[in-house]
Amino acid sequence: MTICFSLRKRVRKLIANSKGFSSVIGTTFMVLVMLFLSTSVFLWTLSQNTMYNEAVRARSQEEADRHDENVVALSGNYSVSEEEVTVKVVLKNAGSVAVQIINLWVLDTYELNRRYTNKSLNNLNLNPGDVLNLVETVTILGANASHNFVSWFVTARGNTIPLEKEQGVIIAQLAQGIGSITMEFKTFRHHIVDKNNNLGPAQYGFTIPGNEYTVFGINLTNLDESKRNINLTGYSCVWLIVPGTSASASWSIVKVVDGRLVDFDFQVLEYGNPTLIFFGKTNPPASLQWKTAAVNLLLYGKIGSDDYGQNIPFISVYVTG
Amino acid sequence: MDLRKVWKLLRGRRAVSVVVSNVILTGAVIAVGFVVLSWTQYRSSAYNEQYGEAMNADIARLKERLAFEYVFYNYNSSGGYLSVYLMNCGTVDNVTIQTVYVTAITGVLIQVNSNVTLRQFNGNEIADLDRGEEGYFVLSLPNLISSSYSVRIVTGRGSTFDHMFFA
Repeated sequence: MTICFSLRKRVRKLIANSKGFSSVIGTTFMVLVMLFLSTSVFLWTLSQNTMYNEAVRARSQEEADRHDENVVALSGNYSVSEEEVTVKVVLKNAGSVAVQIINLWVLDTYELNRRYTNKSLNNLNLNPGDVLNLVETVTILGANASHNFVSWFVTARGNTIPLEKEQGVIIAQLAQGIGSITMEFKTFRHHIVDKNNNLGPAQYGFTIPGNEYTVFGINLTNLDESKRNINLTGYSCVWLIVPGTSASASWSIVKVVDGRLVDFDFQVLEYGNPTLIFFGKTNPPASLQWKTAAVNLLLYGKIGSDDYGQNIPFISVYVTG
Repeated sequence: MDLRKVWKLLRGRRAVSVVVSNVILTGAVIAVGFVVLSWTQYRSSAYNEQYGEAMNADIARLKERLAFEYVFYNYNSSGGYLSVYLMNCGTVDNVTIQTVYVTAITGVLIQVNSNVTLRQFNGNEIADLDRGEEGYFVLSLPNLISSSYSVRIVTGRGSTFDHMFFA
């Protein structure tokens, strides 16, 4: 009780005595100002360091994303038509991040025509696992089908994707086995033609009507080893023959424009460029009806400046009544 | 006023009261305090500014990234030309090209070029590359023997980017 009273008395005396009070306030104020200043500088420095660390983290993430990009360009193929180079490629995003492809570069590696070009690709985004069949055409002055080309894609993150060309050896072997031409069996079609020479819808399959005028459509690809163009003349045709009999019929090469037969002049098969060729119109004779016939493709014309003639027995059809 | 009276006032200590001396002392302390405070604030502002500039420059340099889309060397009758196609794939705008070094694979310096004209792919001249922008420049080079070479680009912010090419 005495101690408490004594303390209270001393505090009252300290408060009542104003001597030295201003110095305490001044010192406190000064210390507070200094604390405020140093804290401000410290916090500001900390914020700058945080910004820098954030930039480093973002940069690391970008680098990681860039390394995670894995787009492969497969089955590359080139075809050339009057200095226009068409690049066909299958793009597959095998990585774990979405990829935006912004540019296609094509280089003509022929020694006397080392030219290149690029084409911007808009809105070409590939999510992980996406597969895209891409066909792009660029113009390279002096380009020729006999030249070799190299191409690559550039992504928005700065990676380049080289185009892996289709297996040339297999194509060469195939071409060696059957000459300079390949055909697509799956897309063999026939059309029924009306009296005004208009083609009906394409009918895929190997059964054809025996009492209608028909036109055959066959996809042919020129795979000449020397990469020369093939010019087919009007002597080319499709020939159906029934085994063990003399029954046969032929469908001459024709041209179709806007779904209608027109006069035939010539047909060029550019190297590497699949081209749909039409033959007809012919009404199969009765001797062919209800029989299976061998279909032979008889091609005649020029390959480059040389003569060209080839017979390809490639499918069989059943002719109904 | 008589000079003797002034002299007496200055010499006589009895006239200087405690109040006056305290006022003078307090005033002096406050004045010095404000001077010190101002100096501290000035120094800390200068430090902040310098540190901020250095940090921002570092961050901008960190965000810079140039991708080489294609480097093509061609030699014909009018001389050798090196075309360098670039894309700004970083996250900062206004990437300028300060200097371009071309060196052989052996490390021998072939050319230094500090006067590079940057152009868009359509040929228009540009001063810098913004984010996602593509551009190219062409350098005149002597006839290079068939070998590997390196092109190094130094940007205005001081980043360097290297790429190999075959002549």
